This record gives sequence, C-alpha cells and structure tokens, in this order.
Amino acid sequence: MNLHYLVNELYYHKRRTLTAIIGLSIGIALLIVINALSLAYHDAARAPLREIGADITVQRSGNVPKELIGPVFPCSAITINNDEVKKIAELPGVKGVGKAVLLWVFDPHRAWIVLGIESQNTIGPAILLNAVTSGRFLGEGKQEALVEAGYAQQFAIKIGDMITIAGRTYPVVGLLDASKAAKIAVANVYLPLAEAQDIAVSSKQVQSVSPFDRQDVNLVFIRADQTKITALSSTLHTMMGKQATIGTPDSFLKLLGSLFALSDKFTMAVSLIAIIVAALIAFKTMAGNIAERAREIGVLKAVGWTGRNVVSQIMAESVVQSLMGGILGLVIAVVAAFGLSFMRVNIPIPWEMSPVPHFLPGGGDQIFKTLSLPVHIPWTLAAFAILLSLIIGGLTGGILTRTISRIKPSEVLRHE
Amino acid sequence: MNRPDILVGNNLSKRYGNLEVVKGVSLSVAAGEFVCLVGKSGSGKTTLLSLLSGLEYPTSGHVLFDGKDITSATEDELALFRREHVGFIFQSFNLIPTLSAWENVALPLFPIKMTSDERRRRASELLAKMDMTDRMDHLPSALSGGEKQRVAIARALVNHPRIIFADEPTGNLDSVTEEAIIGILKRLHTEEGVAILMVTHEGEIAKTADRMVQMHDGEVIS
Repeated sequence: MNLHYLVNELYYHKRRTLTAIIGLSIGIALLIVINALSLAYHDAARAPLREIGADITVQRSGNVPKELIGPVFPCSAITINNDEVKKIAELPGVKGVGKAVLLWVFDPHRAWIVLGIESQNTIGPAILLNAVTSGRFLGEGKQEALVEAGYAQQFAIKIGDMITIAGRTYPVVGLLDASKAAKIAVANVYLPLAEAQDIAVSSKQVQSVSPFDRQDVNLVFIRADQTKITALSSTLHTMMGKQATIGTPDSFLKLLGSLFALSDKFTMAVSLIAIIVAALIAFKTMAGNIAERAREIGVLKAVGWTGRNVVSQIMAESVVQSLMGGILGLVIAVVAAFGLSFMRVNIPIPWEMSPVPHFLPGGGDQIFKTLSLPVHIPWTLAAFAILLSLIIGGLTGGILTRTISRIKPSEVLRHE
Repeated sequence: MNRPDILVGNNLSKRYGNLEVVKGVSLSVAAGEFVCLVGKSGSGKTTLLSLLSGLEYPTSGHVLFDGKDITSATEDELALFRREHVGFIFQSFNLIPTLSAWENVALPLFPIKMTSDERRRRASELLAKMDMTDRMDHLPSALSGGEKQRVAIARALVNHPRIIFADEPTGNLDSVTEEAIIGILKRLHTEEGVAILMVTHEGEIAKTADRMVQMHDGEVIS
C-alpha cells in the first residue's frame, strides 16, 4: 500500500471523498447520538432514586383511616413489617437497605408531613445531610428534629425552638432546604426513625387500618446490583403483593414517555438503520469509485501490481475514508450531545411516592424532578463507533475485492 | 548479428464469443529487436500485443518468454513477469491523474520494498533522459501530450525491461511531437538495447523499425 498515492486519491477526488465521509459521518453521528440519548434518559430516570442513595423503593398501598386525626399513614405507604424488610435485605442482588416511616400528622392547629429516618444510613433520606442549610443534621439516638426551611419560614420556626408533634416535643437542631432534597423524601419535619416508629405505634388511626409494630416501617430503600434491578423488581412484586409500589429506574423511565426512554428496541432499530445506511453509502461510493477507476486499476495490473497489491491499496483507501467518516461522525455527535445536554427533562414522580397529602392545597399537583438531560458519550460508545467505521471500511473494501480481481490488465487497452 | 529470440508466440488465437480476433498467429521478437506491427483498425494488432505481453490469455497457442511458457502462469505470476521484464507505452498515456510525473514513472516500483528516495532517484534519472527534470512534480493534467508520453516512456523503462510493448504511442500526438517520441524510442532501442514491439498504422514509422509485421483480419500476412 502506498500512502502517498492513497492520500492523493482522497485529496484530488474531493467530491467523491467528501460524499463518502459526510454520508458515513451522518450515519455514525446518528448512531452515537441516539445511543447517547437513550443512555441519558436511562441515567435521568435514575436521578430521583439516586438522590436518596437507592436503586429501588418499596412501599405498599392500603386503606385510609375514617378520620384524619393525629398521626396517620398516607394511603400509599402502609406497614411493611420487620420480617419483610429482613427478607428483602437477604434477596440476591441487594447490597443494602434503608428504612423510613412517613407520617401525616394532623394536630389541632397544624398538619405535618413527618419522615422518620435512619440518621447514619447513606441509603435512604439520611443522604439529605448535604441539604442542611443551617444548624446541624440529626444526631444518633437523640430526640430532635430537622425542619424544612420553607415550612420553618412559613410558621416562624427557628433553630432551638421546641416543636410538638403528636404530643411529643422535639428541639429543632437544623433547617433543610427542600429544593435540594429528593422529591420522594420531602417532608416538613425529619425525626429519628425510632421516634417516628413510636408515634406510629401509639397512633390508633394507624393501627386501625394498618397494624404496626415498633420495628416496622412503611418505606424501604434498596441499593442493588445494577444488573439485577429488573429481576429484583419482579421478585419484590411477588413478595410484597398486589398493593406494593416498587419504584425502579425503569418505572420512572416509563413515565418519561420518550421514544428513547420507552424502548431499547427503538434505539436498537434506529441504530441498525443508521449503520446500514452508513454502510450502504460507503459501499455505493466505493463501488462507484472502482467502476470509475477500472482503467486505472488495469494500468496498475499492467505495470506489475498483483491483485493483492491493488486490493490492499483500494482497501486502505476505503478504511481511511471510513475512519475519517467515523471521526467526523464522532465530532458531530459530541457537538450534538453538548447541545442536547441543555435540554431539560421533567421526570414525573408517581403520586404514590409523593409524600404530600393530595387533599391539601397543591397536594394533588403532579410533581416532577427536573434536570438537564445528562447527555454524554461514553468512551466505549465512541470507540465502538470508530471501530464500526473501520469495519464498514474493511468490509466495503473486502466485498469489492471480487470486483477488483475481475478487472483485467487488458482493460487498459480497451479504450485505445 | 544473430540474436536469440526473447519472445515467441506460437499459433496464437483469441476468440471473444463467436468472433475470432487473432487466428493462429506465430510471431517472435529477438533480443534488442525493433518490430512494428501494422495493419488496419480491427486487424487484431492490439489483441496480439496483449497476448504477447501477458495482458490476456490466448484462447489457444503459447507465448514463450526466454523459453518459458507464460500462458500457463497465474494472473499474479503474469503481473510479476510484467513487473520484472516488460514495459508498456499506450496511445492515451494511461498516467494516474492524481500522481505527479515522477510518481507515475515510479508506479511499477510501488509494490517493491524500497525507500521513497530511491524510487524518486530512479524516476528522476529517467525523466532527466526525457528532458523532463523541470516537470517532475507536475500532475499529468499540467503536462502536454508529448510530455505525458515521455513520462509514460520513462515509466516503461523504470524496471529495466527487456522488451517494451508500445500500442500506437504516437496516435494522440501531433506530427512534431510524434517525431520526437519516435526518436526517443529509437534511441532507447539503440542505446539501451531494449526490444520493442510497436503497434502502429503509420507506414512511415514502421519503416524505421528492424522488421515490419503486417496483420489483416486477425492473421499475419507478411
């Protein structure tokens, strides 16, 4: 293979070369962007759960007490008993479990959304440690409370104040910015888990619809092996019964409703079409190139180039041209991905996972987790695209080998 | 002086479907001999040249080069044979449009392992003999017809061939340039001792050769 001859062929036949490179680059760029978008939607769908350090959430729907007085469970989060939690923790693929108790407390003059959390567990709402704007986070084993900053402002609650919830009094040790908090774990007041469990155990309203023991909870957060999330979701549905709500990245993805989010098959199909179109463009250009150069190939053979010499020269042209197409495609895709990363995506939070009572003002509104679409091109995808362009170039050259070998050196005399 | 034959065609025939273009022709070329093949258009001269040079296989008959039968060689073996022993000059030059003059001259050397400098040196020596030193880096599109043919002649010589096959080498040239090109070929023949088998329909050119072979309707008539 002669490099200078190769470079000259590509350079002096600019139109032909550019057609092939641009055609292939569009196909490769399309392939990369579609897959990057799909990955971005999948990644975005993990955001609501990632914010609470989990991959799966488990809760169970039940009945609402006849009267909403004192502490009650939301109808979307009734008791998950301790044995169930232990069984969940032992399931294959479960790396860790976090627990919480979500309560609506209707005191005579005020309604509270209360979340009892494990203050030292990074799986679950305790990950909100970073959202504390003033004061400090909950200490282990202490009877104290964190208040959501907006709620504190509305009711003039300050650090050091004592608040009374369901007849129990807690000092406020910190304020927490709810806008930085995960949408699934938003509450007005955060208490140590044991306190919330005690409130629930003592509540007749809770016990009347959903018997609750001191070790029980009503929200479970699971950190899981990424490859086993789908299988775990299925197992949990079976284990927890029909009333269970299992939140997974896939369940959020379905709510997004995007074509890219809805179906991996769609992504696969479009990618395949992009590859086929790219390959056809490369093939058509090279086939045209060889047809145009039949006489030139005849000259090469006449002056002593063997079939192999000619094939390796043409194949190298095809591979280099395709590689350039692949690189240009990658550059186009990087630019497109950068542009798409400014796109905002709203991930709807299912009402079952919203802690706000739907009958309160604004409680019935659909809540969203809004974030920039995290479009980025993993190096594996970039490498795959470049490799693919090389393969397309090699295959194109390879397929045309027969055409090249059929060109006889006497072709050179045909037009004499 | 009695010179040995380097190329012998025995009873060569070439048929394309029902059309027999070359009919049982036998022809030999001695080492250093200048032979002109003349005849009207369609008489089979170019086809005979392609059979003798190993560009095409005959339908029947044999071609011997230095006593070795090349008609049984594979296409790649024939390519190697052409690379080592044969030079070609064509009517329409057949230069590669994307390569410079010196690169076109060096084209037969590209598959051979040697440095680019060595290729350039060999090409430039030959181009100097053709008075083309100042045109070495020009593309064929920047050369006149005569200059292109000189590049083609230099290309035919770059592998030090023992025989050059020339197919109407002056067919696309004006009379002044034609004379110059024929002069170069005669000089090569005389100085380098290269055998030349040239197809032409110009009787005057043919008269300058050592021997003239006339073809008609696929057969040698004199």
